[in-house]
Amino acid sequence: MKQHSSATRYVLPTMAVLLYAFLYIPIFVLITFSFNNGANTSQWTGFSLRWYYELFYSLDILNALKNSLIVAACSTGLSLVMGVMFVFYSSRSILKRLLLAFYVNLAVPEIVLAVGLLSFLTFMSVPLGMTSLIAGHTLIGLGYVIPLVHSRFEELDNRYTEASLDLGATPTQTLLRVIVPLLYPALISGGLLAFIVSLDDFVISFFVAGGSTQTLPMYIFSLIRSGATPVVNAISTLLLLTSSIAVLLYSLISVRTQGESR
Amino acid sequence: MKKNQYGLRSETPFFMSVPALLWQFLFLYVPLISIVALSFLRFSQGLVSFSLHHYQSLFKEMYWLIIARSMVLAFSTATICLLAAYPIVYWLIFRVREYKNIFLFFLIVPFWTSLLVQAYSWFFVLEKNGLVNTLLTKLGIVAEPLHLLDTPFAIHLVMVYCYLPFMILPLYNAMEKLDLRLIEASMDLGANQFQTFLRISLPLSLQGIKTGFFLVFVPSFGEFVIPALLGGGKRFYIGSLIEHFFLVSRDICAGAAFTCLCGAILLGLMVMVRWLFDKILR
Repeated sequence: MKQHSSATRYVLPTMAVLLYAFLYIPIFVLITFSFNNGANTSQWTGFSLRWYYELFYSLDILNALKNSLIVAACSTGLSLVMGVMFVFYSSRSILKRLLLAFYVNLAVPEIVLAVGLLSFLTFMSVPLGMTSLIAGHTLIGLGYVIPLVHSRFEELDNRYTEASLDLGATPTQTLLRVIVPLLYPALISGGLLAFIVSLDDFVISFFVAGGSTQTLPMYIFSLIRSGATPVVNAISTLLLLTSSIAVLLYSLISVRTQGESR
Repeated sequence: MKKNQYGLRSETPFFMSVPALLWQFLFLYVPLISIVALSFLRFSQGLVSFSLHHYQSLFKEMYWLIIARSMVLAFSTATICLLAAYPIVYWLIFRVREYKNIFLFFLIVPFWTSLLVQAYSWFFVLEKNGLVNTLLTKLGIVAEPLHLLDTPFAIHLVMVYCYLPFMILPLYNAMEKLDLRLIEASMDLGANQFQTFLRISLPLSLQGIKTGFFLVFVPSFGEFVIPALLGGGKRFYIGSLIEHFFLVSRDICAGAAFTCLCGAILLGLMVMVRWLFDKILR
């Protein structure tokens, strides 16, 4: 192997260490202070779990969490079902070209989607709330699910479908018994992405939730705006934990799928 | 019953693929079109008329200042992210031998956490008695704690922090495909490290740079959360102004006009940046 010049030998690792420090120092401080005994957010006064207790006794938080989970579950389910149906049934038709139409969801700044949805729904006098939240989050979900499922579907051997049809299965049976099981890795990783993105989403929720419904990120936002409290640290720590588990699952699935396809 | 090549096609119920398209149409395209339509409408005394009034009212210095400020924010965020991410990805791909996936994993975990949580975590670092000020005063570099929160500096810093993964992933994907033999050949043929980087690695990763630049640039242009939290709500950016139009002053048509104007500017900027990239590529 060639010798690296001393500059790159030391400079690059130093930069890497600095970058990891930059990424993780704020997170560590945040987590540490969630276990702080005092209400002061900058002075360490001893270990305690009181903010976590407070979290589980706060009706507002539990309610916001419930809303977030409902919205995330519904939008993930909807985007998975609609996404798979779209990918499978449009696979051999001109509709396939419409795939491009789904790249817009992630290419347009979120605030534009949110504002558009808000003015359209108000204009049609649709009441804002859970329905509008699910409508908006499903759009983002579709943006993640459809490209993922589509690329996996393209890799599949066409002969599976043909064999299944030749053996007398209807297209629907083929979809449910042959294609969906083959698509599992893509479905799980797409669903995971859609779920986490929906759970974390703030901008769309903030615009289309209306006055009475609150999701967890919206609640956190209002708490932060009224001043930092250790309760926010406790929620943030739990959210961090949830998303780290999700990303771990996601990477494990995608590593396994890559291994299979090679 | 025998099915020919087109058998599936004739049997496939097209309508099954319609829900996704309908959803897309109803909640994405119709709203986008209605934003454009609303921006040209004027409601007065129960009458609706076509007018350019809302666009005319946007010709104020204040609005252009806000747009310019967002442009600077988006450009600097994308550039700093690129400068910070490139060496790391380069290091990860060419220097790290083992546990590459684990290093990458820890680079992108923040991508999966809520933007709010990421922004909030900086409060503890930047606030008056926070980490940075404690360190600086203890080391005797500054006598008085610095005022760091609610400043443009805080906004820029946290923007870079939040959008870094959007730059890292495309760069990683592009550089991973880079053929190591090309680099070895270049070194063998007498080029030094810098020349090899400039002539081989950089041009071959330009596609990733392009994707990453857009992935950071587009959302930062309309960013609303980070300035709202770390700017103390005093400095307006495009996102904050859109929010103000739609949720505070409830002036939907003017807001729609402003959104369309910003959308057009964003599109123009993207075409320009793309043209620049293509020019470099050649």
